[in-house]
This record gives sequence, structure tokens and C-alpha cells, in this order.
Amino acid sequence: MPCLPKTIKKNFFFLICFSLWFSISYAQTSYDAGLIPANLRNRANATIRTEEITVDMQSPTDVTYTVKKAITILNKNGDLNAGLFLFYDKNTVIKSIKGEVYNEFGNLVNKFSQSDFKDESAVQGFSLFEDNRVKHYLPNVNTYPFTVVYQYEIRFKQNLIIPDWRPKPAVDVSVENSKYTFICKPGDMLRIKAQNYNGKAQEQENDKQKVLTWEVKNLPGTKPEPYSPNKDEYLTSIKIAPQQFTYFNYKGNYSNWEELGKWNYDNLLKNRDVLPPSTIQTINELIKDESNDKAKAKKIYTFLQDKTRYISVQVGIGGFQPTTAAEVDRLGYGDCKALVNYMQSLLKVAGIESYYCVVEGGNQKISLDPTYASMNQGNHIILCMPLAGDTTWLECTSQLIPFGYLGDFTDDRYVLACTPTGGKLLKTPKLTTANNLQVRHADLLLARDGQVTGQLQTTFKGSQYNNNEYILGKSNKQQQELLKEVYDIDNINFTQISYRQKKDVAPELIEDLQLEIRNYGAVNGDKIFLLPNAFNVKTNIPETKNRTLPIYINRGFTDLDTIRYQLPANASLINEVGDVHLSNNFGEYFSTVKIDGKQLTYIRKLVINEGTFPAETYATFSNFIAAVNAADRLKLIISLK
Amino acid sequence: MFRYLTLLSLLFSSFIANAQNFSYGQIDANDFNYDKRKIDSNANAVVLKEYGTARLQLDEGLGQLVILFDYHVKLKIYNKEGFSEANIVIPTHKSGDKVELIQDLKATTYTMENGIIKATEMDKKALFNENKSKYLSLTKFTLPNIKEGSVIEYSYHMQSPFIFNFKTWEFQGDIPKVSSDFVAFIPANYNYNVILRGFNKLSDQKSEIDRECLRLSGVAIDCSKMTYTMNNVPAFIAEDFMTAPSNFKSAIYFELSDVQLLNGSKQAYTKTWKDVDYELVSEKNFGGQMKRKDIFKDLMPTILQQATTDLEKAQAIYNYLKKQLKWDHYYAIYSKENMKTILESRSGDIADLNLTLVAALSAANLDAEAVLLSTRENGLVNKIYPVITDFDYVIAKVNIGEKSYLLDITDPLLPFGLLPLRCINDQGRVINLKKPSYWIDLKASQKSVTKYLLSGKLNSNGKITGTLSTTTLGYAALNRRKDIKNHNSIAEYVEKLDEQLPKISIQKQQILNVDSVEQPLIEIYEIEFEADHNNASSQLFLNPFLINRISKNPFNLNERTYPVDLGSSVDERISINIALPGSYTLQEKPKDMAIALPQNGGRYLLQTAISDHVLSLNQILQLNNAIYSADDYLYLKEFYSKIIQNQKTDALLTKNN
Repeated sequence: MPCLPKTIKKNFFFLICFSLWFSISYAQTSYDAGLIPANLRNRANATIRTEEITVDMQSPTDVTYTVKKAITILNKNGDLNAGLFLFYDKNTVIKSIKGEVYNEFGNLVNKFSQSDFKDESAVQGFSLFEDNRVKHYLPNVNTYPFTVVYQYEIRFKQNLIIPDWRPKPAVDVSVENSKYTFICKPGDMLRIKAQNYNGKAQEQENDKQKVLTWEVKNLPGTKPEPYSPNKDEYLTSIKIAPQQFTYFNYKGNYSNWEELGKWNYDNLLKNRDVLPPSTIQTINELIKDESNDKAKAKKIYTFLQDKTRYISVQVGIGGFQPTTAAEVDRLGYGDCKALVNYMQSLLKVAGIESYYCVVEGGNQKISLDPTYASMNQGNHIILCMPLAGDTTWLECTSQLIPFGYLGDFTDDRYVLACTPTGGKLLKTPKLTTANNLQVRHADLLLARDGQVTGQLQTTFKGSQYNNNEYILGKSNKQQQELLKEVYDIDNINFTQISYRQKKDVAPELIEDLQLEIRNYGAVNGDKIFLLPNAFNVKTNIPETKNRTLPIYINRGFTDLDTIRYQLPANASLINEVGDVHLSNNFGEYFSTVKIDGKQLTYIRKLVINEGTFPAETYATFSNFIAAVNAADRLKLIISLK
Repeated sequence: MFRYLTLLSLLFSSFIANAQNFSYGQIDANDFNYDKRKIDSNANAVVLKEYGTARLQLDEGLGQLVILFDYHVKLKIYNKEGFSEANIVIPTHKSGDKVELIQDLKATTYTMENGIIKATEMDKKALFNENKSKYLSLTKFTLPNIKEGSVIEYSYHMQSPFIFNFKTWEFQGDIPKVSSDFVAFIPANYNYNVILRGFNKLSDQKSEIDRECLRLSGVAIDCSKMTYTMNNVPAFIAEDFMTAPSNFKSAIYFELSDVQLLNGSKQAYTKTWKDVDYELVSEKNFGGQMKRKDIFKDLMPTILQQATTDLEKAQAIYNYLKKQLKWDHYYAIYSKENMKTILESRSGDIADLNLTLVAALSAANLDAEAVLLSTRENGLVNKIYPVITDFDYVIAKVNIGEKSYLLDITDPLLPFGLLPLRCINDQGRVINLKKPSYWIDLKASQKSVTKYLLSGKLNSNGKITGTLSTTTLGYAALNRRKDIKNHNSIAEYVEKLDEQLPKISIQKQQILNVDSVEQPLIEIYEIEFEADHNNASSQLFLNPFLINRISKNPFNLNERTYPVDLGSSVDERISINIALPGSYTLQEKPKDMAIALPQNGGRYLLQTAISDHVLSLNQILQLNNAIYSADDYLYLKEFYSKIIQNQKTDALLTKNN
């Protein structure tokens, strides 16, 4: 399902590469690693000594991006920060690269230039693409610390996408000094988004140019913290979008989502919806008995899923323009843009309106920024049908996903609908804690030798449906192997596996397993040790001290387990077990064991809430999870006398 | 696993020719109706027929011989999981102005609609060429209109200037194949060595004479037409604990041995070890480097200051160079730099570093040799005749008295005599400046040993405090040292460790010999953790396996095809002593146990007891072999299963009143 048009590569390029690898050095500076202040060494794997990034926008087709940077790698974990990855394409020219490597004491040990770089295509996996390439270089040094100094210049023949400035690229990198300068003509209109930046840009203006400067100093390294919010929430960034732009010979201007959506529609999407007469006829035939639009759309969606498959095709106006509907119709494949455009064209045949929507896909929910429109947000396309109040969303790149269900790749976030009347920000539906449900019932027989046999039925809904959908359609052998990873119990064997998919707006996956686990109960003399919670033990989380960032739980869920064991004759429970009740802002836990004659029933409920919680409550959270883990590992001692 | 096929012996065999190319576009109902259960009921796609021919021909334009390769395949896609088989990538190689070229590519999708077969040709526009890197291009395409049940067919022609390895043919791929045929036309004056790798046998092979298949300088030359057939080939699936897949995948490899020139002389390409020894020893970047004793003349007295015995000398040189020289992460068997430059720049590739070591050892009048080897990822080397391109790595060997030591200076954390795991791959070839070369086993010189010792006491508040000492040797120590080095300080390493053990809090630590790699790595932690109380406070549960509890069976598959390669033998011991406040009875405990693997392959011992108010537990886990055969897999699985089973049991202590 993840569809990666060029935009994501741009993002990758800008987020990871530019900000990470690009910077500046002053000729007289000493690169003696001993000069790094102690507070910047602490928790850091690398320290950016100096970085100076200058963007000089001479004209919309001539933007010079200059980077001078010195970075000291403090230990092996910091190695990747020493590498330089420069992506380029028809619109991006690498003008010069040079660099030097210094040892711990700041003595020059090595120089390198463009000829030392490897030049490769920048394509991952199977992708039919145009012309994206990367030049990369990783210095080979293995005595730490060492310092790499880079200087390079890139020319963009466009100004639609200006790389974001992110002076601190990662938590484990500290920064001594970093400076960002943006130069343009005095009359140029810009929109600027500053995040986590103290103060304002310095501004200088004369008849010829306007110069904006941002600078940060002494940003310490921090250790990575689990359940951290999205980096944009706490790291500094400056994003700039010029109002007048040129991109692959297209000109335009925008200052908000409405205008950008309109430009997208007019230049990239319009008139790409022509279908061959035979397909129009097929669609008309297909829906002739349906009276309402939703039912028609559902049939057309099934037609789409049967006819097409997802293939990454990175062509057309920097990867932003979909191939035509006629082309997809002929080939039976396309990328996210092409398949959404095709579905939209098919719906048009039935007179159903729909919107082509740009979204930032990913498990982590990231919205398009309502306060700042720009072209380099979003890496995926989905389709929205307004359907007179019954808004329905379609993911068009998967053949498994049910009609009207988006899944956790695109749920609960702002997306840009590109319509003939302009762009609109819309919010996708949320997968809620109560609906992200896993309900499990097991009926098991415990034998005197510890063997457990029986059946296990689990229903997955909401995001938990999403987590398990991948197993559908796999061969029995693959399912066996995958299930052994999910139910990671020694000696477990599945004698029967079956899945039912409720392909619906609120989908369900019902998993039915017949299983046997030899020696599950540990027999010791006339006793059996039994872990009644066989299938769902919550793993511990690290107990970080001195938490600095808020706790962010991206998506909540609810698990309900009812596990019944038929005990051997004359069996009795030796240890007394009390119920466990836990509840706080983070969630809720309950477990109990009941004995009724030979039948032992274990019931467990776990709810984890989504949300953002104060940093100082981290101990509460980790203690809660530790208590859940301890309760989950409840051990029963059963006497066989 | 390696079978050497001789061309001569085949000349006299005759078979009925059933391996023939099939006509493009002749797809019929049989192809659509092929029942996958006949080969693999779990398959998502099956190759119905695959046919290739390769021949040597003169390219008039280039004025040189080239390989002409024709490939043709049809395959059936059963379900959506098999759709990716319609995405094709053909790699082509280039080197300088020598390039491999793909021509005449055709591809068609067939679907069955209402009993009628419908063909969709692939557009030439759908063909993409990706210039991957300086040496590699990829031709990529995907077929149109793929549906469940589609049959696809494609063919292409490739011309290659690289004749030395003729054309490698892989019988085995990631989906099963009903039949795979390869026909090689080899001119009579070209002699290739042919090797079949993998576990599957040829179903058929035959040899015919193809008259006047090639004309060189006006002379007509006959060819051997060799046909190799493999039917019902299972899909190749890589398994855990396995060296390079190319060692196991069924494929046929060629290597040019010699050419009979038209003037009657013979040009040898594949040689005897005697020839290779001579070449290596006289090669400037190999033997030349080994001989550079002179360069160490001034240095040697400083390096050897403290050393008196030969072993001490070797260790001093090893430690000096290991600290002095840095590896640039490239593999090589020939030095690329002059030794003076290497010592000055203090860095180099594998050959630069380890051949410098050989020279330095010789300069101290020690008996030093070089050992060529192939790393685990690179696969096994040919043992029948020398194939120098099979090797990708060189190390040093020093012989002291009766003992010899294999040395590699690329990793500062390696102790003297222990090779990096990547080098532990069957055998290497020892190259001596004066004597003929010979094979040597590449084995880890040290077991991977881990010893845990916990001594503590149970306090009246129910908490257990004590000291946990961990001693590691061999690869276990190497891995821990690497882990420690990946942290900025020992404090950060311990902090992380503490966070990962939520039940145990580490209160103080001492880590010894992090940099003294010849010594065992010793970690000492003062720890505190809680025992589980039952409701009745006189009872106390304790799972003694708080350290390195084995909860997951590493061998959890129901069957195994290939050998299990662990790299080195393993020895892990746990010893726990906990002093109890007053008198307790051990009411329940994990069973005392002694189990073993067949043929002394390994053992597991466990003993728990209380005596003199001290609870003690001793556990030993040993795996004595570095490599276990596929047949041993189920024993290993059961062995681990028994351990896991036993470790589930708690110790239950009851206080005596």
C-alpha cells in the first residue's frame, strides 16, 4: 500500500539528507575534538561544529543551495552522520563537492572530491522510474573522534520545493553552531514557517536583495526516548515557500492550500480522465441495477481491485503527475496517483463526484499543516467521495483492503483534496481505541503431560484488522511460519488455519486456529506449572529516567482475552490468585482466574489510550506497563494428586 | 554439494532429446490448467518451462568472441501473492567499454476469458533501463493486465563480452520450476570447467557435436552442444544460520580452463596450484608485499622491546600493527598500496593490512605465511582446481613450534589468533614464499564462552541483593565489547542495560578488560531485584533463570534443508548462590537435568539445591560443533525445547518454623 511518489524522496532528501549532511566550515577554525564543550559531548554520537546553509534564490529557475559543514563523529554509533548523500535529477544539478577529514587533534588526514563519490540510481525495490540519482560518500575512519568537513553547491532549476532547515537532525547529534541564510529579491513574496525557534529571523534588505538569517547555538544531544512525539513537535525547523514558482516549465503562484490545490488540479490532474468506450460500457453495465451512489461506487471499487495492481512508476513532472486513466486501463497497473486518478475517472462515468487527495501516509499520524501550505508535504494519494454527507474514503493501491476503509496508514489526519474549485483540507476518519479491537476466545484441553490442544478464535477490528490483514492470501506454509512469530511459543503447532475477512467499511478479520502445544504446562512431579495467558503478554518498555519529552501514544487499542482450559481429572489449583485491576490515564487492565469444576477460565482486558501525556508521568506509564507484564505472566500451580 | 562435470565423459552418453525450445506465443489450455500440487501446493507462481542457450560467437564489429545468450520462459501466476513474479529485473554488467546488451525483448500476458485465451503484448514503452552504478545496469519491466491465473511469457537475447565464466545458469529460483533446460555450445578449442552446485540433481544431460558452429580466421570449428536439464525444481528458500545462498542454490557454473590457439599452442586460463603459487609469490602486490622485511628494520627493535619468546614477538607485532593500521572496510586479496604508504597513511584494505602483518612477522624471523580465503557471504571456494576469483580475503598465519595461529588485524577488538566470524568458512589456502601451497581449516580458535556468577542474599524485606559477574571469551566477548564501544561511555552502556531489565536495578558496576582483548571481558554488577511472594508470606517463588533465560527456540521450524552453521562452538555457564535468612525448604524446583546431543554434539546440565541456608543453581549449556547437519536440526530443536520447558519452572521456597 505505501506508495512513494517522488515527493517522499524529496522529503527523504530534505529531511534526512540535507539537514543531516550539509554544512559549512570556517577556514581558520580548529577541528580539535577536545574543544567540544562537555555538555555537547554528553549523550551525543556526533557534534555539528559549524554549519552554514545558504539558499540564494536568484530567480524561480535558479536557486543555489550552498552548504558548509564540519561535523565531529564521537563514536561508532555516529558513523552514518559522516556520510554525504546528494540526490539529484533533471531539475537538480550538483555543481561542486569537496571535503576533508581531520583526526581527533584537528590534523588533516584526508581530502576528497566529487570523483570519490559513488554515483547510483536512487531507487529502492522494484520501481519503474525516470531519472533519480544519488551521489554518496562515507569516509572510512575508525578511530574516534574524527571530523569531516564538507562544502558543496547544488543548483535547483525550480523553486517550488526549498529544502527545510533542520539544524539538529536527530536526538543523538549535538550542535555547536548552525546558521541558515535565505537570499531573494526584495520584492519576492515568501511564506515562512518557523517551528521551535526562539526569536525571529534577522532581516537585511537593500535594492538588490533581501537576506534572512536564522541561527542556533549549543543544542545538546539527548538520548532517544520511547513514545516520543513527531520530531517536528520539538526540533527546530524553518520552512520556506515562495509565492511565485516555476517547476518543470510550469509556472504558478500560491499562498494557501486552496490555491495550491487548484494549481495541482489545473496543471497536473485535469483532462487525464478519458476512458476507452469499452470500459465506459463495462462500468455502465456493472452499475445498471444499483440505485444509490454508494452501492455503485462499491461495485466500481471491486472492478478496480480486480483489474489493477500497484507498481511504483516515478515519471511525469517530478513524479507529481498521474499517468492517464486510459493508460492504466490498458496496462492494468499504476502507482497511487495513477490508480486514484483511474478510480476517479471510473466514478465519473457513474456520475459520482470524488476528490484526489494528497496525504502523508505512515503509521505515525502526520497531518498536512493547516497553517502552512507547501508542495513537499504528503507522500501518498487517496480518494474521497463526498456522497452527499456520507463521506467515503478509498485507498486505491491495495487489492485486499475493504471498500471505504483506510487503515492506519492514512487515518485521522488532514489531507489536501485537489478539486476544480480549489484545494480543501479534509480530515480522514479516526480509528478509535474502542474500535481497535482484538477479541480472543480459546477452548483448550490441558493434558497431564502438559500438552495443550484446542481451538483459538480471534477477531480483529479497526487498526488491529490492519495489523493482521497481511496474512490473508498467503500460502498455508507461509501462514504457519508467520503464526509461529505471532504466537511465539515453543513447540506450538497449527493443525488447522482459516481466515474469514468481513470486507466492509468496518472490516473484521476472524482467525480460527486449531493448535497443539506439546509440553506447554511444565510438569514437575505431581504438579503442573501453567501460564494461563498463553497468547498475549504485553512486553515491557524501558524505564527511562529523567524523561524530557511528552509521552505520545499514536493509536489506542483494546484487547479482550477469554482462555478456557479443561483441566485433567483430579486437578486442583494450589496457589491462590487474586484479580488484578489497574487503571489510569494511560489505560486500563483487568485479569481474573475462575475455577468451575474442571474448567479454568482466564479473562484479561487491556485498554491503552491514545494521546499526549506530560513527560513527568512517564514513570507512571512504565510502571503501569511493568505491572501489566507481571500480571500477564501469572503462573498457576496445579496439583494432579 | 559441488559436482564437477567433465565434458569428455558426457560425449559418450546419449539421451533422447526432449529438451527443446518452445515456440513463442504457443500457450494452450495445459498451461492454464497446470495443477501446482504436482510440484508445490504452496506456490504462488510456477515456472512451467524455461529454456536458455548460450554460444560463443565472433562479433565481427568488435573483432572478438562474445557470448550470445537466449532466454525464454513461461510461468503461471496463481494468486495475488504471485503478482510480483510479473515484475522482472535483468541485471547487465559493464566494465570500461565492455558492456552486456539486451536485445529483442518480448513479453506477453495471457488470460483465459470464457474459455478463450487472450494475449496482451507488453509495450516497448514499459521497458526501463536503470543505470544502477558504474558496473551495473538493470533492465526493468512489468507485464500488463496481470490477473490471478494469468500465464506470462517473455524472451530476450543478450550479448556479453565476458567469456571467462561463459554463462551461469540458475536452475533454482524463488518459485518452483517444472522444467529448466540450458544448452551450451562450446567450441572444441575452448575448454571450460563446469561445476554444478546445490542439492538437486540434473534430470538429464547430454552431449552432441554441432559441426562447424564457429569460423575463426577462416577455420571452421566444431562445437560440443551440451544440454543440462533439471525437472521439478523446488523453490529456493533461505534459512537461518546459513552461509551464502549461492553455496546451496542449484546452478551450473563455467570457468574457462584453456584455449587451443589456431597456431597449435595452448593458452591456459585455469591453472594448477603450482602455477598459481608461482604467480602469487612473484606478484608485486602479493608475494612482493610478503617479502618486504626491509621496511621494518628500524621499527622492529622498538616493537619487540619486551618480547623474548617467538610467541611474545608475534603478539607484540600483532598488537602493534592492529593499533597502528586501520581497515578501510574493503576486501581484497592483492595490496593496492605500497607498504611504505600503508604504514604512513596508517590505513588500507584487507590485503594491505594483513600482508603487512606477514612481512612484519617475517622481519622478526618468524615463520609467517599468507592464507587466501572466501568470506561466509562470498560462498565456498572450488577445491578441485584453483579459481583465484573465488577468494575475496587474505589473512596471516604464523607458525610457532608445533602451533600455528591465524591472524587478522582489521578489528582492534579481536584477540590474538581469533578470526572475525566472516572468515570462518570451510578452508583457506596457505601461500608460502618457499613451499607449495596447501589447504587449512578455518575454525574459531576460541569457543564462545559466557559465564554468569550471581552471589547474593535474600533480605528480610523480600529483596535480593548481590553481585552478578559475567565473564566472556571468544565471539561472546567480541560482541559485548562491540556493544560497549557503541556507547559513548560505560555509564551509558550500563544505563541502557538497566533500562532493558525492568525487574533488576543495577546499582554499581565495574567492567574490566574492555581494551585488554587478550583477557576475558569481565562485567561486575551490584544488583537488586524482588522475589515473588505468594499470599502466604512464608512462601516465596523465585525463577532462578533471571539471566539469559531461553524463551525462544532458535530452531523452531518443522523441517530443515540446509546445514546449521553457528560459526563457533558455544559454552555458557550460570552459577547462582543466594544466602537465605534462616531455614528454608526447597519445596519445588526445576528438575535436575543432564541431556546431550548425539555424537557428543552438546550437553545441558542443571542442578538446584539448598544447603547450609544457601540456594544454589548451576547450569551448563554446551554446543560442541560449529556446524550441524540438516539431520541434526530436529535434535537441536528438541534439545532447546527441553531447556525451555525446564526453565519455566519456579523454585518454591517454604520457610521452616
